[in-house]
Formats: sequence, structure tokens, C-alpha cells
Amino acid sequence: MGLLQNVIFGLVTGSYIAIAAIGFTLIYGIVNMINFAYGEYLTIGAFVGLLTAVTLPLPLPVAVLVAMVGGGVASLVLARLFFTPINHTGPVPMLLTSIGLGIALRNLIRLAAGRNARYFDTETATFRLSGVPDVPVGPFDLLGDFFVTSEHLVVVGCAVAVFFLLHGLLTRTDVGIAMRAMGDDEDLARVRGVDTQWIRDSVWVLAGVLAGLAGVLIAIQTNVSAGTGYSHILQILAAAILGGAGSPYGAIAGSYIIGLVLSLSTAFLPGGMTELSSAMAFLILIVVLLVKPSGLAAQEVREA
Amino acid sequence: MVSDNGTATRRAVLKGVGAGGLVGVAGCLGVEGGDEGGDGGTEGNGGGSTGTDGGTAGGGSSPDSIVFGQPAAQTGQWDFLQPGVSQATDAALQNINDAGGPLGTEVELVRRDTGVNPQEARTVVTQLIENDGASAILGLFSSEINPLWDFLQEQRTPVVTPWPGSTFLDTRGGDKGTPENLDDDEWVWRTVVGDTVHTAGNAKRTLDEGFETIGVINGNTEGERSYVEGFLAPYEAEGGSVAQRVEVGLGESSYQSALERLFGADFDAFLVSLPQESAITMLSDWADGGYGGQPVLSDTLGTQAVIDQVGDALNGAWAASPGQSGPNYDTFEQAFQNAGDAEVNAWSPPAWDAMHVVALAVERAGEATPEAIERNLGPVSGGEGMTVSTFAEGKEALANGEEVNFEGAATPTNFTQHGNVFGSVTISVAENGEFTEAEVIPAEEVRGFVEEGEY
Repeated sequence: MGLLQNVIFGLVTGSYIAIAAIGFTLIYGIVNMINFAYGEYLTIGAFVGLLTAVTLPLPLPVAVLVAMVGGGVASLVLARLFFTPINHTGPVPMLLTSIGLGIALRNLIRLAAGRNARYFDTETATFRLSGVPDVPVGPFDLLGDFFVTSEHLVVVGCAVAVFFLLHGLLTRTDVGIAMRAMGDDEDLARVRGVDTQWIRDSVWVLAGVLAGLAGVLIAIQTNVSAGTGYSHILQILAAAILGGAGSPYGAIAGSYIIGLVLSLSTAFLPGGMTELSSAMAFLILIVVLLVKPSGLAAQEVREA
Repeated sequence: MVSDNGTATRRAVLKGVGAGGLVGVAGCLGVEGGDEGGDGGTEGNGGGSTGTDGGTAGGGSSPDSIVFGQPAAQTGQWDFLQPGVSQATDAALQNINDAGGPLGTEVELVRRDTGVNPQEARTVVTQLIENDGASAILGLFSSEINPLWDFLQEQRTPVVTPWPGSTFLDTRGGDKGTPENLDDDEWVWRTVVGDTVHTAGNAKRTLDEGFETIGVINGNTEGERSYVEGFLAPYEAEGGSVAQRVEVGLGESSYQSALERLFGADFDAFLVSLPQESAITMLSDWADGGYGGQPVLSDTLGTQAVIDQVGDALNGAWAASPGQSGPNYDTFEQAFQNAGDAEVNAWSPPAWDAMHVVALAVERAGEATPEAIERNLGPVSGGEGMTVSTFAEGKEALANGEEVNFEGAATPTNFTQHGNVFGSVTISVAENGEFTEAEVIPAEEVRGFVEEGEY
């Protein structure tokens, strides 16, 4: 059984979890809330991408960009409507509001789009890889018998691009430096002249953009339905907590751990237990938190 | 009222007219739903409180209304199958009413959506029986019937459904071969062959094609496991072996690791038993990975959506589904095509059969109560009477004092003591972007794969 092949699958899964988990953990680190409605932002992005690519129809790269913009706009609007007005009330009311908002959004999406899964149709699916070599790429024999597909390359490529852009944003731009300052001490940042409301809005937009990208990548790979985001929120939450809530670099590490555990546990669990791979990911989470309750890389947003 | 001078005052006349009008209106209302129903005369007004009681056939009364209820999958993961079933039911309803209806009364069908959700199904069945006055239920899936089994028994209303394949029903349901005795009845009947039958047909096809070793990938829910168990029992009994079995959760973003594990073993073909959404994801991963091999699909995967999403890699894959080749399929097909544009599926002919057998049960009973229908489902379908394929033929035969034996579109509709039917199995093969019927395995050949007494 190909260990390397399963590692590749794990890295692909980890990549789209990481894109979403960065946005999730930025909200936690700077807005100081766990946003359970974040899964629905993925769904919104996926449906915006689907509408753009299939219904309009526009080329898939355009659809991905529109999905990212849609996710960002939705995130900001929802924040202004539901979270900003209660920002002063503390994390628990914000958490409860996000749970309620998630349920409401999920059912509204179900009402509008129906219960059934929607697919990027075959024609669009072919087009989705325009500009990327027509694959499967492989199989390769260099390091053992394994293969990668162009889908794998697109997902991992998007993730790597996000990581570099994020690093550049946090270390080389005024907005990013202000985000780090707010993550460290919001009051001090305000005293030093940081427009905290603007930074909050920027975080909401950035998190929504990342959710839109992750959602549309998941939809291209599988399908999209009203439950798409909900079915991924626990993996995203686990990755963010595993990495150290509030740390984008930790979220990346946590996502790849979750992705690898999902993949390798399916491959190597005893026969008849393969359906428990999702549970294995959470078992790892529990073990890590027992050993290091703050997560693997807590506070890194401040140290970057 | 009479005035002093012996002439009626204007007010008295108006009062009298008003009172008379009220009485008249009350009388009219009483016909609809009063408790003082007719007494069974040929022009009788029928009914008790539900308006479904009547007299006896051939000189009996016409009830005010006969209502059948249809829980439907108008939403949810199986909704793509409902149009074909609704159209078949509507076609049957039209034919029955065109022939004068049971007991000379038009049948009304009330269709309500359950989303194939057991809790919703419970509510819908309650509404159909208690609010709509349905005397029979013409639907419900396995995933609704199994968890609601005790509830359905308490309703004491026959459920004659075209949907469920569950092996749970193999030895449950029906009248136990004692039509007159309701005490041992289990109130659920199905006009579609169960998983035990068409999985046996699929196993036979797999062995006939020379695939003696198989890999299995299935979802971790009862329905998917049930399909696999139904397949493997005859497959292994006839010499086949399982090289690898991988069970997966539903709704995953990727099944690549599961496929990697599955294809780590050597086998001739692999069986897929997953709901459509998860199956499309898994088969797309399989196609992208270039794993090859012969796919063998569960019955619900033989649909256009699967081919559309997975593409040409699926060419040669087959699915086995309940046969659409009962003795009177042609009669059904013509009526179905006249009724609309829906695509016929494996559950359409059984839906036609369900509607007919219930209507004939009412006609034979001479009344439209749930108990009367329950007592007569067996006698109108499996008896020694005159063979009929439409309600009109059956109605005429019963009017002449003959017994009838309804033979349907999906199967001969000979209910077993457990309310099951046995029939052929259709093999559909994916070729050039669509599923095409490639083979029909006759019922008698499938019978050899099913243990006596186990179905």
C-alpha cells in the first residue's frame, strides 16, 4: 500500500482545510471570537462560484475570483449586521450569535438552493483546468509508484500562494502589522493610532475571501450543497485549535496534521474500522491538547 | 307565524325562509361529513365520520370520497426518483377514475413531502390518515419504514409502497397468508422486489461475467450495508470471494485514501454501495486516479446524473435494479407516457401496481376502510381468479361475481405471506454517456439464489 500516495492525499486535504482555517483563526486572534457560522461562508463562496461558472457561465478562474469576492462581501456584511453591534458584550454572546447565524444561514441557503448537491458540470470541470497541463500527472516511479492529478496541483498551489501572500501581508504591510498589533494588545494598538474598526473589517473581509476560496475548491473537487460548510467546520475548528487558536501559522500546521491523519488512518486502520478516520483526527486533537493545551503554535500571530 | 287577522306578517315569512335555508345548508353539510351516514343502498351517501365507509360491491353504496395518501420524496437526496413515481401513480389514478373508480367513487390522491426523513414521515403519515382521511398509504422508503415500524403497526392502515428494498422487510409485513384474520397482520406491503432479490441478480451477473473475486466499498449506513450483505450472501455462496472491503463515511470531500486501500488488494471487480452524492465523489476520485477495474453499482447509482458527473471512465459499469418487465409492463408504459414527461425508473412500475392493487382491494371489499383493504390485498393479487391487468378489467370481473388476480407491470404481484413480491432483475450498463438496459435476469433464475423461507 502506497505510503507516499496517502501522504499526497493528506497534503491535498490539508491544503484546503488550511486555506479555510487561516481565516477562522484570524477571526479568533483579532476579533476574539469563535465563529461557528464560518462554515456557511464556505458554502456561500461555493454557491457564488457555482452560479458564476455554471449559470452565467463564466470561466472557472473568474468564478473562483468571484467566489472569493462573494465570500469577503458576505463576511463583512454579516459581521456589520450581527457581530459588530455586540462586539462589546464579550466572547460568549458572540459565540452564541454565530451558532444561531450559522443555523439561519444554512437553512436560508437550503431554502434558496434546495437540499440537493450541485455539481460543476463536466464541461466546466474540463475548463477548470485551463492553463494547467491536462493530467492525471503521473504515475511517477521516482520515489515509488504514485500519482498526482491536476486537481491536486491546483489545490496545493492555491494553498501555497495563500501562505506566501499571508506571510507578506502580516510582515510587510501596514494592515498586517496593525493586525499583529491588535492581536497582541488591542488597547495599546488603538493608543498607537491603529484604526481598530478598520482592521476588524479587514480581518472579516480577508477571512471571507479565504472561506470563499476554500469553498469553491471543495465544490470543484466534490459538490456543493447547503450542508457543505457545516460538514467541514469541525475539521477547520480542529485544525485551528490544534495549531493554537489565533495563530495562522499554527493553523497551517494543524490543517496538514488533520489532513494526514484523515488520509493515513483510512489507509492503515484495521479492516472494518476505516469509517472511523474522522474520529481519529479528533483523537489526535485531544491528545495534543492534553500535552499542550495552548496548541502547537499559540501566539505566533504576534511573533510573525 | 300568523297575525291576528290571520295573515302572515312579512317578518314571519322572512324568519321562515331563513330557518328553512339554515336547515337546507345543514343538510348539505351533513352529506359531507356527518355521522349519520347512509345505510348501504345503491344511491347511499356512504359514510361515517371519515366518509370512507360504503356498502358492498355489486349493489353496495358509493362512499362520498376515497382518499389514498402518498408520502413522497419531493425533496431530499432521493427526490430525483419521485417524478417517475408520481407520474406512474397519477397515470394509474387516471385509469382507475376513468373506469368509474372503486365502488363508483373517484379516488382522491393526497401527496405530501417527507424528504425521506423518518420524523417528517411520521408527521406526514399522521396527517394523511387523521386529517386527510386516507384509507391506504402508497409510499415510504426503507429508511422511513424501518425506524417507524411500531408506529406504522399502530396506525392499522395498510402501507403499500413501491420503494423499499430493505432486507428488514424480507420476513416482516403482509397478512401472513390469513387474509380474514387481522390479528397477525403487519400492515406493510411492497410492490417492488427487495434488495435480497436484485442484489442476488447482481451477484449472479457478476459471477456470470467471470468476476470471482471482488472488492467492496460501501457507506456506513444501514441501507448501504444492507445492499452489500444482500449481494455477498449469494455471491459467496456460489463461489465468489471478497478480497477487500472498505467502509467509509458519507459526504467526505475525498475518498482517495479509501480507494488506495481498496485497490491495494487484487480483485476482478469492485462493488460500490453509496448514496449518489458520495458515489459521484468517490467515482470521480477513482476516474482521476486511473485505478481501472470493473465497477459494479448498487441499484440507485444507475442514473444519468452519475454518468454525467463521472464521465466516460464509467463505461462498462453496470447496475442491477428491480425489473421493469412484469407481465403487463406494456399496459403501464403506454399510460405512463400519456401522463407526462417524467423519466421512467425502476420504482415507476411498482407505483402503478401499488395503486391498482389497493383500488381493486376496495372494489372487492365493497368498502374503503383500512381494514377492508388490508383483508383484500392478498385475495385480489395472488388468487386463482381471472387474470386482470387494469382496474377496469378487475372491476368488471368482480361485478360479474368472479375473483380476480391482478398481474402488474413490475412483477406478477403475487404477494408472499410477508407482503413481498418476487420478480426479474434488470441489468443496465453504462455506455456512451447513458445507462442502457443490457439484460433481464428472469425471476426463476434469481429465485435459485435466494434461500427458501428467507424472503
